[in-house]
Amino acid sequence: MLLILTVGALATPGFISTPSLAALLTSISFIGCVAVGMTFITLSGNIMSLCLGATLSASSLIFMAGLSFGVGPALALGLGFGTLFTAAQGLLVGYLRANPIIVSIAALALLVGSADYLTGGQRIYSPGDSLVPLTGTLWGMPVEALFLLASAVIGQIILSYTRFGRHIHMVGSNLKAARAAGVSIWRTVTGSYLLAGFFTALAGILLSARYGSGDMELGVGYDYDAIASVLVGGTAIHGGEGSVTRTLLGVAVISAIQVVLLLYGFSQQMQYLMTGLIVLTVIMLHSLGERHS
Amino acid sequence: MSVFKTITRESIRPFAVLSGAVVTLGLVDRGSGNFLSVATAFSVLQLFSTLGLVSLALGLSLVVRGFDLSVAGMLSLAGCVAVLTGATHPWLGLAAGLALGLAAGTLQGLVMTGLRIPPLGVTLGGLLTFQGLSYVLTEGQTIAYPNYDLALILTEPIMGFLSYRSLITLGVFLIVALVMSHTRLGRDVVATGSDPEASRIAGVHTDRILIGVFALSGFLTALAGVLLSYSLAAASPVALSDVLVPAAAAAILGGVSLGGGKGKPLGIAAGVLTLCILRSGLNAIGASPFVHEFATGGVLLVVAILDAPELARRLTSWRLRASER
Repeated sequence: MLLILTVGALATPGFISTPSLAALLTSISFIGCVAVGMTFITLSGNIMSLCLGATLSASSLIFMAGLSFGVGPALALGLGFGTLFTAAQGLLVGYLRANPIIVSIAALALLVGSADYLTGGQRIYSPGDSLVPLTGTLWGMPVEALFLLASAVIGQIILSYTRFGRHIHMVGSNLKAARAAGVSIWRTVTGSYLLAGFFTALAGILLSARYGSGDMELGVGYDYDAIASVLVGGTAIHGGEGSVTRTLLGVAVISAIQVVLLLYGFSQQMQYLMTGLIVLTVIMLHSLGERHS
Repeated sequence: MSVFKTITRESIRPFAVLSGAVVTLGLVDRGSGNFLSVATAFSVLQLFSTLGLVSLALGLSLVVRGFDLSVAGMLSLAGCVAVLTGATHPWLGLAAGLALGLAAGTLQGLVMTGLRIPPLGVTLGGLLTFQGLSYVLTEGQTIAYPNYDLALILTEPIMGFLSYRSLITLGVFLIVALVMSHTRLGRDVVATGSDPEASRIAGVHTDRILIGVFALSGFLTALAGVLLSYSLAAASPVALSDVLVPAAAAAILGGVSLGGGKGKPLGIAAGVLTLCILRSGLNAIGASPFVHEFATGGVLLVVAILDAPELARRLTSWRLRASER
């Protein structure tokens, strides 16, 4: 699958040219960070959150509003909000075993309501050009891509090499067995949500830095793009099985296909359709593969 | 305590929440006639027609332990197909839209039972595919439906608060409710949701039930989409896509549980009505839109907490700890 894609991509004239690759890397980065976060929620057995897109938007708003205190405090405010808001949902899900999808829908409605109340539906613009370091390139790579890489590396290290990471796998694959083994369910689930919120807020900050403004529309659709990447990467939807690296692969596959379609001159509409069909195909292939192994 | 328990029981709760919403809004309105009016009732039922069948579809899929994400895509796709094929013959458009919904739902059901893929994965793919398809069909534009007379007929008030569109929606709800409560099929659907393994042993064709429910879900959503596009005299791939959150919220409010096996069509209807009354009622008494978001979010959060399986255990352990001190 990956081989076909690589050959197909390299055979497309213009794919390896730097501008299109850089554009691809940048657009991957925002979805990638959210998808890395979503991986933790899916892995811990809580399927998906419908609130991450809105959390991304709200973090971008708070970051932009916080810039009047300086870049440092703004970063802390934006990241802190996304992290704590999502961790609070994790607490409800983990401590009371409340339904993850309903909790995320409720959080979404509350967040959209508060944002509407506080901003009146307005966009918040960046006051100066203090954000240039977040939008440039470093060692020939867009800064956003480096952030994604760092997030993925940190995420994968947490999953593979820490006790918390092992607990996430255990809780996701068999809740009762994990409890019997003495794993604290609520700490693990809250931790997974906390990380999801952190990476989502990071995406929000990067995205608003790129556009020079924050508003509630920024994150629309990111929930679905992120869960599509997680599933295409091969993380099991019922939890317990998967990794951040796989999610990264999923993001890369979806984005590469979109760029190839674009370069061959397919319309934006056709890209939407192809993405849907590919997600469907990959999910079906994965389940066939699972049954054979 | 026993009164509290009765009210929070799944079968009664939707109606309790509904009456709560009506009484609260009525009190806030204090008889100024903005909320308790025929006009509000009409607008509530119009909203009900948009959201109701989608919520019923989603709710039924939840009863059999699925989560039909694809309803959000099917709603706009069926509308687009109906508007494109039914320009001269509305019935043809209706038939095309409904056939598409039925076929797409059946196909999704076949894929999840045949390949043993969790419904959420299949319907996520379905959602993205349907959405893509409606973008391709409409080239990303809003397309107008030239038959304005039909739009007027469908939305014309009957006895002040009804319309053909809301009558059709209410009729479908009634039929599904009767089938669910009075036939073997309905009992089999609930059994499949509450314990798939046991139902299979008891001789229920659980795979067929699953396929049937997803086919029905596609059909109901398509019907809602066609009615909506016909009465707006327009179809668009974008505007209708944020239906998933309110539809899920309404189903959950209506007593459907994500664990499967619980939820009745009339409960779902009450859930949808609650959401619609909150929206139109708050509108009628002049509240800002964010109040509606807060109300929806707050109600959902309370239901999520009340429904949480470990709430009782946590409360008991707190009480014990408090009494030890």
